[in-house]
Amino acid sequence: MAKRIGSNHTNTLTATADATNLADSTYPLAILGGSTTQITNIMEIYMGGQSTSSATTFTVFGIDSQIATGSLTKDATLTDAPMNSATAALAAPPTIFNKAATNKPQRSSSLHLMNLTFNAFGGVVRWLAAPGEEVTIVGNAASLGQASLSAFTGGSGIIGAHIIFETF
Amino acid sequence: MKSKRSTEGYLLIDHRNSPGVSDAAVWHCDLPPGAGQGLFEAATYTCSHCLYVVVIEPKRTRDRAHCMGCHHDICDACGVIYAKTLACSSFKRKAESVLEAAAQIVNIKEL
Repeated sequence: MAKRIGSNHTNTLTATADATNLADSTYPLAILGGSTTQITNIMEIYMGGQSTSSATTFTVFGIDSQIATGSLTKDATLTDAPMNSATAALAAPPTIFNKAATNKPQRSSSLHLMNLTFNAFGGVVRWLAAPGEEVTIVGNAASLGQASLSAFTGGSGIIGAHIIFETF
Repeated sequence: MKSKRSTEGYLLIDHRNSPGVSDAAVWHCDLPPGAGQGLFEAATYTCSHCLYVVVIEPKRTRDRAHCMGCHHDICDACGVIYAKTLACSSFKRKAESVLEAAAQIVNIKEL
C-alpha cells in the first residue's frame, strides 16, 4: 500500500478508436492489476503538451476491454517508481507498460472514465481525485482489471504524462 | 458525515500558453464552452456506479442524479438507469463480487 508514479516523459500519440488494438508505444501508459484480488486506485493524471505546432489531442483514460498479454514492457521514456524511497516492494505489483508482445490493449467503448481533451501545443491537463473518490481497477481480468491513457480518434500530439496510483 | 463538497476532485486545463481547443471539440468531451481556452478549473465528482469522472458545470440548473442506495451523485447515463430501476449498482458492489469470485477460485485451488 504505497503510492507510485507511472510516468512517460515523452510520447508521440497515435489516435486509436475504441475496441481497437493500441499499437506499441503509441500511448503513454497502461496499468494492469497484479493479481485477481488486487485493487489499485488512480488518484492523479497529468499531461503536458510537447508538440511544436497546434495539435488538439483527444486523450481518454478508460478501462480496457481487451487485456494485454505476452511480455509487457516499457519504452525507455516510461518509468514506474515509488513516491517514497522507503516503499517496500509488492509481491505482485501492477504492471505499467506501453508495449505488449501478444494481445494489445483495447480501450473499451463503454467504459471511458475521463475525457481529457487539450491542445498538445503548450496545453496542460491535471486531474486530482478527492480522497475516497479515486478511479479504481479491480483484479487483472477484463473488464475491470486494466486501464489505459491513450488518444481517441480525432487528433493527437506529443505529450508527457504521469499517473499516481496506490495498490491494495 | 461527509459533505458533498468533500467528494469533489479537481480538474485543471491550462491553455494560457497555447492556442487551445475549439468549443466544438470540448463540447464532445462533456466540457462547457470556453473550457478549451485560457485557464479552466473545475470541480469533478466520480460516478459511484460507473466511475466516470464528471466535470461539474456550475451553470447547470438541472438536478444531478443521486443514488439513494450508495448516497452518492451519479452520472447522467447511470441516472437514467437508476430512474428506471431504482436499483443501486454501485461500483463497490461490482468490485466486491469480482474479488469474492476470485477468492473462491483461490480457495478451491487450495483444497
